[in-house]
Amino acid sequence: MAPHPGIDPDQIKEKARKDLLDLLESVRGKKNLVIEKSLAGPIGIFVKFSTLQDHGVDKVFFLENDNVDASQKNVIFLARGEKANQPIAITEQIQRLQKNSSIEHEFLIIWVPRRTLVCNKILEEAGVLGDVSVEEFVLHFIPLEQDLLSLCLEDSFKDLYLRKDPTSTFLAAQALMGIQQTHGLFPRIIGKGDNANRLMELLLRMRVEAAADDNNTSKFGLMPSATIESLIIIDREIDFATPLLTQLTYEGLIEEMFGISYNQTEIHSSIVGQASGTQQSGKSPAATQQGLKQKIQLDSSDKLYEQLRDANGAIVDNLLNKVARRLQSDMKNRHAESISELRDFVGKLPGYQSEQQSLKIHINLTEEIMKNTQSDIFRRTLEVQQNLYDGSDPSSQHDTLEELISRSVPLPTILRLLCLESCISGGLRQKDLDNFKRLILHAYGYQHLLTLSALEKIGLLQTRASAGVLTNPLAVGTAQENTKTNYNYLRKVLRLVVDEVNEQNPNDIAYVYSGYAPLTVRLVQAILQKQYLLALTKGASAANISTAAHGWQGFEDAARNVKGTTFNKIQKGEEQVVKARHMLAGTGGKVKTVVVMFLGGVTFTEIAALRFVAKGEEGRRRILVCTTDVMGGNGVVGAAIEKGSFGEV
Amino acid sequence: MSNPTANWERVGDRFYHKIKLYDAVFDQDLELENYVIAGAPFSGAIALYRDESKLHTYRGSQTSKSSIDIYSCSGKLIRRINWDKGSIRGLGWSEDEKLLVVTEDGTVRCYYDLQGDFTQFSLGSGVEEHGVRACRFWSNGFVAILSNNQLIAISHYNEPRPKLLATPPEDLVHSWTVIPPAYTLSRSVEVLLAVGQTIYVVDSTDAEDRVLPNGPFKHVSVSPNGLYVTLYTEDGKVWVITSDFQNKIGEYESKAKTVPKDVQWCGNDSVLLAWEDEVHMIGPNGAVLKYYYDGWVHLLADVDGVRLMTNDVCEFLQKVPDTTEDIFKLGSTSPASVLLDAVDQLEKKSPKADENIQLIRSSLPDAVAACVQAAGQEYSTYWQKQLLKAASFGKSVLDLYSSDDFVDMCEKLRVLNALRDYRIGLPLSLEQYERLTSEKLIQRLINRREYLLAIRVSDYLRIPTNKIYVHWASQKVRNSTADEDTICSTVVDKLNNKRGISFEVIARAAYDEGRSHLATQLLNHESRAGKQVPLLLSMSEDELALDKAIASGDTDLVYFVLLHLKRTLPLASFFRLLTNRPLATALVESSALDQDRSLLKDLYYQDDRALDGANLLFSEALAQTAPQTKIDKLRLASKCLEDHSSKDPTAALYHKSYQEAQALIRLQSSLDSDLHAGEKVYTGLSLNATLHRLILTTHGKRANKIASDFRVPEKVFAWIRLRALVAKRDWTELEEIATKNKRSSIGWEPYFNEVLGAGNTKLAGGVFVAKCTGLKARERSEMWVKCGMVGRAGEELAKAKDLEGLEELRGKASGSGAVEIERLIAQLRPKR
Repeated sequence: MAPHPGIDPDQIKEKARKDLLDLLESVRGKKNLVIEKSLAGPIGIFVKFSTLQDHGVDKVFFLENDNVDASQKNVIFLARGEKANQPIAITEQIQRLQKNSSIEHEFLIIWVPRRTLVCNKILEEAGVLGDVSVEEFVLHFIPLEQDLLSLCLEDSFKDLYLRKDPTSTFLAAQALMGIQQTHGLFPRIIGKGDNANRLMELLLRMRVEAAADDNNTSKFGLMPSATIESLIIIDREIDFATPLLTQLTYEGLIEEMFGISYNQTEIHSSIVGQASGTQQSGKSPAATQQGLKQKIQLDSSDKLYEQLRDANGAIVDNLLNKVARRLQSDMKNRHAESISELRDFVGKLPGYQSEQQSLKIHINLTEEIMKNTQSDIFRRTLEVQQNLYDGSDPSSQHDTLEELISRSVPLPTILRLLCLESCISGGLRQKDLDNFKRLILHAYGYQHLLTLSALEKIGLLQTRASAGVLTNPLAVGTAQENTKTNYNYLRKVLRLVVDEVNEQNPNDIAYVYSGYAPLTVRLVQAILQKQYLLALTKGASAANISTAAHGWQGFEDAARNVKGTTFNKIQKGEEQVVKARHMLAGTGGKVKTVVVMFLGGVTFTEIAALRFVAKGEEGRRRILVCTTDVMGGNGVVGAAIEKGSFGEV
Repeated sequence: MSNPTANWERVGDRFYHKIKLYDAVFDQDLELENYVIAGAPFSGAIALYRDESKLHTYRGSQTSKSSIDIYSCSGKLIRRINWDKGSIRGLGWSEDEKLLVVTEDGTVRCYYDLQGDFTQFSLGSGVEEHGVRACRFWSNGFVAILSNNQLIAISHYNEPRPKLLATPPEDLVHSWTVIPPAYTLSRSVEVLLAVGQTIYVVDSTDAEDRVLPNGPFKHVSVSPNGLYVTLYTEDGKVWVITSDFQNKIGEYESKAKTVPKDVQWCGNDSVLLAWEDEVHMIGPNGAVLKYYYDGWVHLLADVDGVRLMTNDVCEFLQKVPDTTEDIFKLGSTSPASVLLDAVDQLEKKSPKADENIQLIRSSLPDAVAACVQAAGQEYSTYWQKQLLKAASFGKSVLDLYSSDDFVDMCEKLRVLNALRDYRIGLPLSLEQYERLTSEKLIQRLINRREYLLAIRVSDYLRIPTNKIYVHWASQKVRNSTADEDTICSTVVDKLNNKRGISFEVIARAAYDEGRSHLATQLLNHESRAGKQVPLLLSMSEDELALDKAIASGDTDLVYFVLLHLKRTLPLASFFRLLTNRPLATALVESSALDQDRSLLKDLYYQDDRALDGANLLFSEALAQTAPQTKIDKLRLASKCLEDHSSKDPTAALYHKSYQEAQALIRLQSSLDSDLHAGEKVYTGLSLNATLHRLILTTHGKRANKIASDFRVPEKVFAWIRLRALVAKRDWTELEEIATKNKRSSIGWEPYFNEVLGAGNTKLAGGVFVAKCTGLKARERSEMWVKCGMVGRAGEELAKAKDLEGLEELRGKASGSGAVEIERLIAQLRPKR
């Protein structure tokens, strides 16, 4: 059997691009494209607007704006069909066009990633199913980077934890199943959390169902992959605290302050300066002027950014300094001795130029970020966070919290701190919680009663009574599967707090939060880097766990103190086939991939920490991060925040 | 054994042969001339029905019942479909052997399994008025022409969508045909219409006149590869042109007085003209060959030749394949031919066999390949064997030879020969077989219920057999007369341990047959939960369907079931189904939140979830515009919680907040009307923002009162006042606060910081530093420095006798400040 190539993000991108363009081409002539807003970003990752135009797209409309016009005979809708909202909106717009337009339109609806029964039913009941053609665009994982695949489900966090709607889990299962179908079964599926467990069960079930499927022509069923070592599934629910903290890597800070969506951030032109004029034609970083906001591409196509993104924010100015100095010296040494040297130099010029451009942008960004990080409020916020994860008495932070509320800092900041306290210390006392609720309602408006109630539903905000007795460390041993992550216990067992962290030359993943190691990544380490973690927590002498240890071995207690189901499943193929495969392919020696799936979202800091882990495993393993969506703390509480107010509607 | 060349005939410089596939095909009483006939592509089944426009002898009432008869090529009746649905205007086949019947009123029936099961759809509402006149079919679609010349295209049968093509001229259409989408530039179907003197090409966007002068054309026919078009003119000329109408390839004078009844391509390089019992073949360069028959003859064109059907025989007319021609041509000296001869010699034990081999030694691999290829083309098993023997002999001489092609061909021939048996009647040529693919071939066998052969062939070709078993079982549950438990156990026993068996399909067949108990039993064996759901729903097994949908994990399926149940069940039963199914409840909640809030209200009421119900009303209040309606909604919301607030502290808080919210709305509208003449300035602000704004606009007193009404904590109010006053730049007021009060609830540093932040160093330094008595001297000194008052900073340090601090300070100071510090240091330094 020919060795499988590993999971190749470029290939996924190329396939998605081709599939989409083929679908667009299937409609003859010019067409208008109506696209769901939340799909525009993901699609922009693999196909440019100009390419769409080359394939006959005349104008692009957002489905949500309800403004598609009759300028083209052909109208294509591109939307997700998992919820009823989109088919209803599409139905209305089709009916509007049919009624008002003088020409007879041809409609095509492309459902992403699958055509659902619900959509069929809604279109059928509205009587438009007969007038439209329907296609599917199978789009699951979209590669944001070489080591990062995202389903780009913006609502996944809200759906999973607030609305308890497991659609994202199902879509994730389908996406992972796709990987299994091309690369073989994950030999081991291991993970933590109730939703993660459900995802694992779905994968097992889908495997059985795939065997019963008529379309599956493979005679043998699926075999364990030769290129993938395991799948680790992490449920966001097991660690809400991590995303609530302020991310302190450069990329994390940009996300915190400006927001990053699909490798792009929008920044006010006054901050990045007049760089745009020369850059419109430039490729990298592709920045386009849009009103007063400017889009800046943030991905590994910008070599400078690739160096900076995962560094702790505190040392970014240093790094920038170095680069600036190198560039300067490079430019100075241009006294060309001979024509060939001159030619060399001129050849490098475009590179210098784009590097200089990107340097300029990042210096400006850093400056803006520093302005913020030096502010009183930022420092106070960080202080509260630190005290909370250090394990000091949470009530000592209440004064600061009250003050911050009185000073009307943005609501997400307050909610994050409050939720952080609730998560880490296992809930607030009823009296304190009620007091904060009242303060928040006064300061930010009564509509946030809904916000608070949503936070409670998600489990981000709890009273200590409902959270159970967790502060008592003696109770720990007896607790079976936990309903709550016990940070007090884990702080020691997994060494979540590392005081002497080196930000300059990171020696532990804790550098991403300047002293706090994200629990999720610690759990990944507990599976992949047992030796390291044992040495860290119990001293070098204790780290004599056998290298053959796998699964949760050595960290069962820790796992037990994290919320939700713990699981560890081995997937086997038919024995003879596996044996034959082993004989043919031989074992070991090859670098295998570990897929880490974050269900419910992942932060940039966790990605950075996993990249740090991957660096340590270089030569042995490759780590591929998969997620339902990339998000920050504002996204976590944002899922709960009520947008309406008692003002004008 | 007769030489293969015996039935070869030369047409120009090529040979054609007519292979007799079967004889005694149809009953001699069947008057073929009175029937319309359609043959499925790739030597598939043949459909016949009596042409209504022709008179026929009356044979009693029994036969007058109209029917569509499906025969195999060997004349075996596969199925008779009784027809009483009106006048048939189109009869044709798709590539996968679906029979399409189009009636005058635009109804299309798609018989998908040769057994009379069908799906039905309509060509659209406008069709009835004009009526369908005729249809032309291609591999997976067809075009219908209406009596007003409108053209309607169907491009696939899974979800057929009738598509109106551009409007052609309304004149009489002499003849017409279609170019399948696969062969057109636009990748959508094009129609050729012979109208007047010329041909129109019609596609979805326009109808273009190709301006040909020689019409009217009585026949138009497109070659199987879509590259050429044959036109038959009224005066007996045959034109062959390229399908883009750019080049004329040939012209032939048929000298016929009557217009032929049919014109078809035979392969891609010759054309057949058929009269009642006579067929003319026009080859390249106008060479002609004529065949005569005793009776009526029908042409059934295929990709690589034409089937000729008469009552007596079914023949296949095709060009002799090049490899075959090379080997068998009279006087051929091609290596393959020599190789074949060698085998002959070998059998005669003649040494010439070896001589032959030596003769062609250098081109032996090609000769072997040619023999293998030619064997595949051959219909006679004798010659197949002979050619394979030759190939085998040849390869035995070769040192290195991959036998893959040889083995492959043997397999194919074995399958082909089995299919060509008259009992099966699928006389596929090798090319047809390769184009059809073995999967589709198996489907054809399944449709003919040749299960045993299908399974044998599948096993032989190593392709999955699951579909065959499923089909068998479906037929079993439909037709078996045994009792249901026996049927179930027979089926399950047979299909156990087989991969990829869809019990759902079998169960559906049972259900459709009215055996719902059997269906339920069978469904239990289906491993894919998702597949069970739709059937369970149609069986009204609501609860089971919901549970299976939940088990599948597919939310779409759950939504689908819920949507269905909500429509069909009374609300109370619907809610009852939801209890104890948290996932279903969550999904109902989630979707109702966006679409159906009244349902949500009912749900919360039913489940006694007062807090959620109240919150729902509360969010409705948010959506209101007028203050009064907002208050009304809020009142309703607080009413919801009235009973609970005494027991549940959370409910109490909500209850109170609803009331506060009402109070705030009232307050804000009165503020707006008092202070802003009704303009909505305060409306929508939070309580703190309201206070802030009041202080900012010099209504501090009012703010004080409101703060105490709403019991705003002292600290919070202090901050609000501070920030508002700073924003207002009301330095006097701030100074007054400082002088009037000794203590401040939030300390004095915030005052210092805020005032300094606003740039008033004089006030910050002059008043507030001194008030920060709780701080250390060093800290206070820094505060002075921030205000630019180095002197005061120095004094502060001097007071505390902090020499070190002073020296540090000296570094920062300049001008008169530095002098002052120097002085203080000197004072403080111990005198030696």
